[in-house]
Amino acid sequence: MASQTHASIRTMISPLLASFRSLSLTSNSTIPRALPIPSFTRSWTTTMMRSFSTTPSLALRGGGRAKKNPKSGRKGPVKDPRITLIRYHMQHPLTPRPLRFSRMRALRHWTIHRAWMLARRKKLEAEERELYRMYQSMHSACEELRLLDAPGTKDAGRLYRIAMEKKGIFGHGGVPIEYARMQTDTPGAEAWNHGWTR
Amino acid sequence: MSASQKAVRPLARYIRSTQSSCQSAGAFRTFSSSVRLNVEAVAEPTAEKPKYDPETVTSIKGEKALMRSGIVPIGSRRRRAAIKSSDNLPFEQLPYLCFQEALKVLREDREEELKLIATERLRISNVQSRDVSTFRGGQLEKETKLASMRRYLEWLKIQADINDPLIKKRFEDGEGDMSKPIYRYLADRKWREYQRKIIVQRIEQFGVVPDFLPHFEPTADVHLAFKSRTVQPGEYIDSRVSEVAPRLKVQVFDKGERLVTVVVMDGDVPDVEKDGFATRCHFLATDIPLSPTDTSVPLSKLTNEQVILPWMPPFAQKGSPYHRLAAFVIEQQPGVKIASNYQAKDVRRESFVLRAFIQKERAKAIGFNMFRAEWDEGTAGVMERAGIEGADIEFKRKRVVALKPKQKPRGWEARHSGGKYKSLQR
Repeated sequence: MASQTHASIRTMISPLLASFRSLSLTSNSTIPRALPIPSFTRSWTTTMMRSFSTTPSLALRGGGRAKKNPKSGRKGPVKDPRITLIRYHMQHPLTPRPLRFSRMRALRHWTIHRAWMLARRKKLEAEERELYRMYQSMHSACEELRLLDAPGTKDAGRLYRIAMEKKGIFGHGGVPIEYARMQTDTPGAEAWNHGWTR
Repeated sequence: MSASQKAVRPLARYIRSTQSSCQSAGAFRTFSSSVRLNVEAVAEPTAEKPKYDPETVTSIKGEKALMRSGIVPIGSRRRRAAIKSSDNLPFEQLPYLCFQEALKVLREDREEELKLIATERLRISNVQSRDVSTFRGGQLEKETKLASMRRYLEWLKIQADINDPLIKKRFEDGEGDMSKPIYRYLADRKWREYQRKIIVQRIEQFGVVPDFLPHFEPTADVHLAFKSRTVQPGEYIDSRVSEVAPRLKVQVFDKGERLVTVVVMDGDVPDVEKDGFATRCHFLATDIPLSPTDTSVPLSKLTNEQVILPWMPPFAQKGSPYHRLAAFVIEQQPGVKIASNYQAKDVRRESFVLRAFIQKERAKAIGFNMFRAEWDEGTAGVMERAGIEGADIEFKRKRVVALKPKQKPRGWEARHSGGKYKSLQR
């Protein structure tokens, strides 16, 4: 939104800007060095780019001119070696940049975060509730089976016994965990029960 | 200002003034601001009397005009410029997809919470209307049950609002309405994060708990200020500053109005006869109404009925160690006024015992703040103006003479005490 206005200002004054640019270009190219160039033509375009910024530009540090950085060879202000060292030790290119938000952006972030936590908690609780419900219904069904026949009748509780069987639930031909031997440091007295049948 | 900036200034001013004038002409802004901006700027380049909005003024001229009319522009110029170019959408209508979905989730949750609150209210009213004889435990069980249900209701009320971003924002801006439970909850949480820890540390450091009270859990935030001088807990305060009665700002975090007593007392009055220290009450006022929204207690503006012992400026005589001046806020029994029990002539300032007072009134200390007093160059004048004698007294430590006579060095030390062994000596 700010950029929109920025753009609009630029469209408004673009003829002006263009004239200034052309002026500066022509002055640089045509007027000989002996003639003192008005200093504003040099920094004019950069100033217009940052019309909202009130901070003095970094380029102004070295006598108002961007020096050539001796090490990198690129143009730019000469950086304080202490800052470079701190950067080197504190930051790593693989470290993600810190999350810095404006106030409203942070508030939006917080809103989304809260909603996400809330939704996740609700989902978890719903899942747990569903599991509990399923377990309860299985339990009550087994209870029904157990109480189906009166005691003393033939085949009393047969269906219940069948329901309690764990055939196949540990995979095809698997052994229920109840029959497993506890892991011990030493082998058992009888290493393998060869006579075992289901 | 450099030459370049000087040269740029008139142009920049021109740009700013056109912008502001068209802004003031068209108060409403649409999405396509750029086109309208240009059109209006052409149509009416100079409005007759431009009205400046303190929220959006960016021109120096406009700022000055506003300042002249007594309104200070809000925020920085950069911020104002940003606001000017924005659509001023309300926060909850910002067009971000994830944000809107999040708001939807939060709104649904709030609806559920409101339903729960309605059910709980109904349950509470049902329990209230039930006869006492239907409870197995009688009246006690009924009351316990009601209390726990009400606690749950308060918790639900907080849960309904705790996810609202606007409430969070309003609280952070300091615009929270303390009559609402959510703001009280947030304020309490914030207080406990830092300020309460400092107070608790002072209570431990300065031995407030064994010296003034047997036990103490602060639950209210107390700020102390002498005129414009705010007091950090435990700070040394110049005696000339503390000559006038301070203002208290007491923030309680539970609902309802209550009556409090304010006691300011000195815990380190030197007692020469006892070779120890005594206490002195510097201020005592009772029956001060206090609620979460009504927090200010200016001690100098209390009524004569409330004040039992008026403010006596704290002083520390020369040579005595620092004096702890502790200000306590004590919650009285609900609805019981006690000022009539105390007359100024009955209550002695010297050797005032706080625990006796609290025990007698069955009150409870809820807030605490303190400062320290020392002898300084203004103390004598303060004492003279307050009509307190003893400014010329200076306390000195008694010299304790050792019972054993001094011994000369013997043995190895005597042999090596000559100049030859200077390097060995420390």
